Amino acid sequence: MRNVRLIARLDVKGPNLIKGIHLEGLRVIGSPNEHALRYYQQGADELIYMDCVASLYGRNSLREIVQSAAQDVFVPVTVGGGVRCVEDVTELLRCGADKVAVNTAAVARPQLISDIARRFGSQCVVLSIEAKQLSPGRWEAYTDNGRQRTGLDVIEWVRRGVELGAGEILLTSVDREGTRRGFDIPLVRAVTAEVSVPVIASGGMGKAEDLVEVVRQGEPDAVAMADILHYQRSTMQEVRRAAQAAGIAVRACEPA
Amino acid sequence: MSLPEVAVIDYGVGNLLSVRRALEHCGARVTVTAEHRAILSAPRVVLPGVGAFADGMAELRRRGLDQVAREVASRGVSLLGICLGMQMLLGESEEFGLTQGLGLIPGRVVAMNCAACDGRRLKIPHIGWSALILAKGRRRWAGSFLQQVRPAEAVYFVHSFTAQPSDPGHRIADCLYGDLTISAAVARENVVGCQFHPEKSGEVGLKVLRGFLRQ
Amino acid sequence: MEKRDVIKQYHLPVEVKFCRKCTISNQRPRIKFDAQGVCSACNFAEYKRSHVDWQQRERELFELCDRHRKHNGEYDVIVPCSGGKDGGFVAHQLKYKYRMNPLAVTWAPLMATEVGRRNLDAFIASGFDHILGTPNGKVTRRLTNLALRYLGDPFQPFIYGQTNFPLHMAVKHNVALIMYGENGEVEYGGDEKNALRPDREIEDHDKHYFSGLSPEFWTEHGLSAADLRPFMAPPHEQIVHNRTTIHFFGYYKFWDPQENFYYCTENTGFTPNTERSEGTYSKYASLDDRIDGYHYYLGYIKFGIGRTTSDAAHEIRDGKITREEGIALVKRYDGEFPHKYFQEFLDYCAITREDFEGIVDSWRSPHLWERVAGDWRLKHVVWESR
Repeated sequence: MRNVRLIARLDVKGPNLIKGIHLEGLRVIGSPNEHALRYYQQGADELIYMDCVASLYGRNSLREIVQSAAQDVFVPVTVGGGVRCVEDVTELLRCGADKVAVNTAAVARPQLISDIARRFGSQCVVLSIEAKQLSPGRWEAYTDNGRQRTGLDVIEWVRRGVELGAGEILLTSVDREGTRRGFDIPLVRAVTAEVSVPVIASGGMGKAEDLVEVVRQGEPDAVAMADILHYQRSTMQEVRRAAQAAGIAVRACEPA
Repeated sequence: MSLPEVAVIDYGVGNLLSVRRALEHCGARVTVTAEHRAILSAPRVVLPGVGAFADGMAELRRRGLDQVAREVASRGVSLLGICLGMQMLLGESEEFGLTQGLGLIPGRVVAMNCAACDGRRLKIPHIGWSALILAKGRRRWAGSFLQQVRPAEAVYFVHSFTAQPSDPGHRIADCLYGDLTISAAVARENVVGCQFHPEKSGEVGLKVLRGFLRQ
Repeated sequence: MEKRDVIKQYHLPVEVKFCRKCTISNQRPRIKFDAQGVCSACNFAEYKRSHVDWQQRERELFELCDRHRKHNGEYDVIVPCSGGKDGGFVAHQLKYKYRMNPLAVTWAPLMATEVGRRNLDAFIASGFDHILGTPNGKVTRRLTNLALRYLGDPFQPFIYGQTNFPLHMAVKHNVALIMYGENGEVEYGGDEKNALRPDREIEDHDKHYFSGLSPEFWTEHGLSAADLRPFMAPPHEQIVHNRTTIHFFGYYKFWDPQENFYYCTENTGFTPNTERSEGTYSKYASLDDRIDGYHYYLGYIKFGIGRTTSDAAHEIRDGKITREEGIALVKRYDGEFPHKYFQEFLDYCAITREDFEGIVDSWRSPHLWERVAGDWRLKHVVWESR
C-alpha cells in the first residue's frame, strides 16, 4: 500500500501567507517561512507554495520565497503561480524548488508542459487544476486563482496534460476550498481514475476525518491542507496520527 | 575540531542548492564545483543528479568529470551518488538505449516495470516516501553510512528507473514498491549511493548525510 | 436618445484625478480630495485606525443598547439587511453580544440570485426574526424601467424602497432604534458631515438617494400615490412620534467588511459565491440581486468607476490589498459587461438591446470617454495616472 503524502499548502501574496474562501477574500495569516518551518517540524511530507497574485501581475515573486524557504526545510518543495516559460522553471529549480506547478500559462499554451518535461523530466512538472463543478460529474477548469473560466472540461484537460508530460496533478476544488466542508470526492475520484500519475487532492479539509474519507473514497496519492494548519485547528502530527489510526498508510514520522 | 569538508560535483544537472544546504546543516563545509583539482583534493565527494541517465553522463563527460569521479573512487576517497548520481555509479543503463555509466559498481539501470500491486498498475515514476528495509542478507547497517537509520524509517524517492547491482553484497538497503524490491542504497567500499534524496527526506535524510560525513 | 450632462447632474469636476492611495477617482459624486491628492474615504480610513478610541465607542454602544433594550420580548432594534455579510454581522452582534432583540428587515431584491436567497435563508435559520418586504412586482418593474430611462440607473426605485422600508417597520413595530452597518457616505467618500456622530438626520436620505427626481415625476408616468407608498417614507410625524433614530454600527465598531464576511461564514451560515461577480474579482460582496451588475455598469459609464474600482478601493483602505494589486485588478476587470443576466434584465425592464445601448450612450460624457478605432475607451485610467 502506497504511503499517502501529507502536504502543507501555503498560498502567498507578496511577503504574506494568505488564506481565503473559494480562493477569495484573502486574509493575511503571517510569515510564509515561519509557518513553513513549523509545518516541516511537525512532519509535513512536502510543501507547496503558490503565488496567488502572479498571474494578475504577469510576474511571480517565488524566487525570494523559495530561496529563503529552502533554508531549513528538508522535504520536497513545489512552487507555482505565474510560471510562464522554461526559463522561469530553470530559475526556480536553481533557487531550491523540486517541482514546479503550472496552470494559467499551460491553459494558454499546453505545449509548455512538454517543454518543461523534456528539459527537466516529467517528475518536475505539476499540472495545477482549479476545478469548479458545472453539474454532477462535470467540472470546469479555472485559471488566475479561480477567477477566469476556461471552458475546459477538467477530465479531458487532465488527460491531455498527462499526455503532454505532466508528472503530477495538483487538483484544487474551487467549490470546497476554504469552506472546511470536506473534499470534493467525486472530483478526486474522477481524476484518479483517469490518469496514472500521482494526484494531490486539495481544497476543503476541515478536520482529519475529511482526509480519511477522501483517501478511502477518492484514492489520491497525496492530500494538501492549508486552512486547518494556518488557523492552527490541527497540526501535521495530529493529522498523521488520525490517518494511522484509521489504517491509512502514511509515512511513520517522529516530528523534529 | 574542524568541519568535515565535502565537494559537490556541479555538472549542470540537479538541485545543488538543497544538497548544499542539507550538508551544511549537518555541519559540513561545502564546495560546489566543477573544477577537477578542487574535487580531487576534497576528502569527500558527492555526485548529485536528477533526470535522464544519458544526459547526465554526457554532461559529466563533457567536463571530464566522469574521469575525475573514477579517479576519486580509485583513490579510496568517500564518494556518495544521489538519485541519478547513484544510478551513474553503475555499469550501464538501458534508458533510451544502452548507455555506459561510471562502472564503479557492477550492474545495470533498468526501467521499473509497472508491475501489478493489488491488481492495479503501479504509478511510475515512483514518487513519495517509502520505508527503507535491510537488503537481503544484511543484518544491520552499523558500519555503513546508514548506521544512524532504523529499518522502516521512510525516505523520499522520485525516479522512473532503478539500479540493479550485479553483486547482491553491494546492496545495503532496499524498499518495497508494489511487487518490486528497489535498490535504495548501495555501497562498495568507499563508493556509496542512495536512490532516494537524503536532502529531501527530513530528519532521516539528514541522518544519512551525517552517516556519510563520518565515513 | 438625448445626451445627458453628467457633469452638471452630479456636479462632477471636469479634470479627472485619481486618489494617490486607492483606485477611486474624483468622479465619484460628493467625494473630496485633499491637497495631497488623497480622497476623503482614505483619510477617513486612516482616521479610523489612528484617532478613534474604540473602547470608548463601544461604551457608547453599550449605553445606547441599555437605553433601547426592552425586556418584555418586543423588538428593540431594526436591522436593515439583505442576507449579506454586513447586516448579518450587525444583527448577530446586537443579538448575542449586546443582548438586544433585533428584527431584521430586508427589502426584496428585484431579481433574487440563488446564492442571495440561500444566504438570506441561512441567516434566518441561524436564529433571527425577519421580515421581507416585497413591493408590487408590476409597479416595481415599471419604476425600474422609468428609472433606467430617465435616471440611467435601474436601481433607484429599489434604493428608495430599501431606504424607507426600515422606517416603515420601525413605526409599525414601535421600535425607535434602526441600526445600519456603515455610513456609506463617510466610509466610501461622500457627505462627511456625519463622520463624527453615530447617527444621522432622517431627512438626509432625500438629498442623496433620489438623484434630483421627485416622487411626483413618477405620478406623471402613470403610477399612483398608492403604488408609490411602499417606496416612500412613512409620514414624517409618525417617524418623529416613534422617536425614530438611525445609528451606524460602523461608528461604534471598527468596520471591516472582509472580517464581516468571515464572521458570517462562521455565525450566520453565509456562503460566498464560488465564481466572481461580473465586473469585479469579489466573491462575497453584493451577491443578492441579478440587476446589481447593471447598476454598477451604468456607474462605470457615468463616472468611469466600475465595480472593481470600488471593491479594490475598499480593500486597499482596509489593508487587504496593496494599491499596486488594486490597480492590476482594475485593469483586468473594471467595466466588464455583465452578460449572465442580460436577457433577463432586458425582459424585466421591458426594453430592447438597442434601447439599452441608446441609454448607455446617452450617459457617456465626452470628458470621460473617447472613441478609438470604433471602440469606446476611457480617456483617463488609474493604471496610467501619475
